[in-house]
Formats: sequence, structure tokens, C-alpha cells
Amino acid sequence: MTPHWILSLDGIGKDFVFHHQQGTRIVVFEQFSHQFYPGSATILTGPSGAGKSTLLRMIYATYRTESGSIRVRHRDDLVDIAAARPAMIYALRKHTIGYVSQFLRVVPRVSALDTVIEPLLARNMDPEQARKKGKALLERLNIPSNMWHLSATTFSGGEQQRINLARGFIAPFPILLLDEPTASLDLKNRRTVIDLIKEALADNTCVIGVFHDPADHREFAGHTIDLADMIHQEMKQPCPEKD
Amino acid sequence: MSVLQENDSLPLLEVRHLSKFFGKQLGCHDISFAVSPAEVIGVVGESGSGKSTLLDCIAGRLKSSNGAVLFNSSVGMLDLCRCDEALVRKIIRTQTGYVTQNASQGLKMHISAGGNIGEKLMANGMRNYRQIRKEALAWLAKVEIDPGRIDDLPSTFSGGMQQRLQIAANLVNAPKIMLMDEPTSGLDVSVQARLIDVLRKLVSGLNLSMILVTHDLAVARLLCHRLYVMKQGKIVESGLSDQILDDPRQPYTQLLVSSVLKP
Repeated sequence: MTPHWILSLDGIGKDFVFHHQQGTRIVVFEQFSHQFYPGSATILTGPSGAGKSTLLRMIYATYRTESGSIRVRHRDDLVDIAAARPAMIYALRKHTIGYVSQFLRVVPRVSALDTVIEPLLARNMDPEQARKKGKALLERLNIPSNMWHLSATTFSGGEQQRINLARGFIAPFPILLLDEPTASLDLKNRRTVIDLIKEALADNTCVIGVFHDPADHREFAGHTIDLADMIHQEMKQPCPEKD
Repeated sequence: MSVLQENDSLPLLEVRHLSKFFGKQLGCHDISFAVSPAEVIGVVGESGSGKSTLLDCIAGRLKSSNGAVLFNSSVGMLDLCRCDEALVRKIIRTQTGYVTQNASQGLKMHISAGGNIGEKLMANGMRNYRQIRKEALAWLAKVEIDPGRIDDLPSTFSGGMQQRLQIAANLVNAPKIMLMDEPTSGLDVSVQARLIDVLRKLVSGLNLSMILVTHDLAVARLLCHRLYVMKQGKIVESGLSDQILDDPRQPYTQLLVSSVLKP
């Protein structure tokens, strides 16, 4: 029996209209469809501007989807992210879809450890237990213990990225979106992140990621989607703004 | 973020087709939105866009020209623009808080910090002096003000402390919703950060809803689940905070987002 998909994109479309730049309209997706399965890794490839990050952000609902549907299995239901109400998006982000962005959005005055365990506390885990889990993960990502109680505001790019990753991996999600998670890491930490991703896959997580380094692509037995074909070059020309 | 109800429950507050005119001058026009329990809503836009007028209509400080403000109170859904005035005053006093940009307007500057908190408790019927003082001390600690300053006048406090005191005085009666008008403007960046941190903790711990009027998009992103963008008295765009800030669609929102440094 083939496993059933957990996420299904059906005929999705996305364009950006820049009203203050002569109404330039850029079409990134048009009638794009794809299914994603539990326990599989999907690597998005294609040149810069092909829409790799855009696709992740549409799945996370940070970017609004103009046409088509993005259906996801959320607990026992099927939810269309493109049409879901805000309360449903909050629930999806709490339980079903995790997202590690390229850069950590640092909240001033919140310690690195508290930043990392926030997703666990959102699921009402006992704070003491959450801190224990957070410390173990920070240790694994080689963040020295004397930094755990500092705000990540002053951390280096690589350290912030690891805090971001710890936050993304601390709570298990059925779907995990990764936007260049290894971009600013050294070899040792890169290895740890690859291991974390493999563990998530073994846990049946559906991983969808953009990876900077082709060496990372080889690490995963998953399939690759090349988005280069998706862009419609002719549409990248400025065209008159529609109402 | 805070624990939000995941089912489609009744909103705590719903604004329907609300308009306010000052003579021929438009304050805000045909505003409709709903706030769920524990949800933080931001209203953003430049000065004069009608944000504060809208908030004042919801808070009952201005009488709206048209429309309804429905509040899910203990006695059912009530239209605060239409129902009995004494009842409206009671609901506003016990179930809503209102924090102004200028703390000296929201506080009584000639009575002590503890008195500012105690006064609110007494207005709600608490009479035991020791209990009032105990509550006041606890609230000062929650908003990170040294409890040793309980007998000092707010005028001896810094701007950031005054603002935190104003928040404590508003939260002491456990309102269901806080209405905040530019609570962080006029504060230094580091002081702002502390206020935001205090607000974040309070909101997630108290199951509190909030309507936050601000022109600071970075503050809006940190605190709000959803944003409404106002221009010339009307809502031009709304959505999840990251949708508005990272994928703005309307010309005005694009201009607003692109004119600030990294929100």
C-alpha cells in the first residue's frame, strides 16, 4: 500500500505586484501541483528567484496563495491553508507545520534557551521538562552553556542560526520546512543538522527544504523538485497593473 | 505565542460597520473586524489615519456616528454603542483596560504608585487595605517595578516605569481585553524592548485579548497575531502579521512596509 500524502498542492498560483515599481508583476507559480509524503525529504532546487523560499512561505501561509489549494492533514482533518481562517493557521503552526527561516528574528531580552523552548511551552509542556530538552539540544548544537541565558541579540550569525534550528527541531512537527538551514554553519554543526533532519525523517516527518550546498542534496534519499521550469520568464517583464 | 482557541468560538469583541465623523471631517469609516479570546490585533497606519479614533470609539471614549461594537460579556453579546449607559460603563470598567501613549493621562500623578493600582481595586469593591497593598505589590513585581517604590509618586518614575505602572493599574481587575494606544512611542529603544517583553509575558499568561494601535511595524510584528492597515479612516488591508509585513498587497501597505528599516 502506498502511503497517503500529508500535503497536496493543487494548481497553485502566486504573483507579486509591485505597485511602486511601475506596477511590475512577477508570476512565480502558475497551476503548480505536487504531493508530499510523510517520512520523505523533498529538496527544492533552481536558480535564485525561482520561488524556492516563496513555496515554503506559501505552505506556512506567510505568503498568501491567490489561486489553487494547499491541503494539509492536520490531526484528523484536511485543511486548505490557502483558505484557512487565522485561528486555524495558528493551530497549524503550533502542531503541524514547523518552519526554520534563514535568519533568526531575535526578540530582545528573551534568553536563547527561552527562545528555543517557546514551541514546547505553546504546547503546554511542563517548563522544567522543556528547559531540560532545550539544554540538551543546545548542547548538541555546540552552544556553550554560559550563553544559554543571554539574549541572542548579540550572537554571531552562525550562533543565531543554530538557535533558530534548535527552535525548529525542539518540538516534533509532521511537516518541517527548512530554508537554507546549513548556510552559515561550520562542518561539525552542519553534520549535526543533517543528523537532526535524518532523525526527523525516521520519525515520519515530511521535510521540505532549500539547501545551499549540493553536498547536502546527496545526504537525502528524497526526491528533488526543480523549480527552474516553473518560472515564466516572459511574465517577468513589467506589465500593466490590473485592478 | 499564546494559547489560542482552535475552534471557531464566538469572538470576544466584534466591530461592525463602525464610522465616526467629526462634523464633515472623517475619523474612521465602515470599520468591521472581530477579536477572538487571547488574540492580539494590531492597527497600523500613519498619523491621522484614524487608528486612535477607532480605538476611542471601541473604548467608549468617543461616541460613534454609526455601527456597532459587540462585546461578549458575562450577560451575553452586548452592543456597547446602544445598550444602557450604566451597564456600558460597568463593562468598560471591569472587563476592558485602556493604556494611552502618555502615561500621565492614564495615571493619577498626585497619588502614589500603589494608590494608582489600589484605586482600581477599590472601584471594583475591594475594601481590605492589607489585601489591596498585597495585590499592588504583586502587580508592581509583575511589571518589573521595584516594590520598594510603592509609596512613591509616579512623577518620580521614568517614562518606561510610568508606562508599566499604567499597564499594571489596568490589569489589576483582570480585564478580558486591553486597548492600547501607542504604548511604546516616546520611549527609548531599550525601554521599549522591556515593555514589549513585559507585554508578551502578560498576554500569554493571562489569556488576554489586545487591540494595539501603533505606527511601529517592528512592535506590531513582535506582539500581534493579525494586523489591520488603516489609511484615511478606512481599512485598506488585513491579514496575519507576517502576511501583511512580508507579502503586502495594497499600494499603501507596500509603501508603509518599504519605508521603514527592517520591520
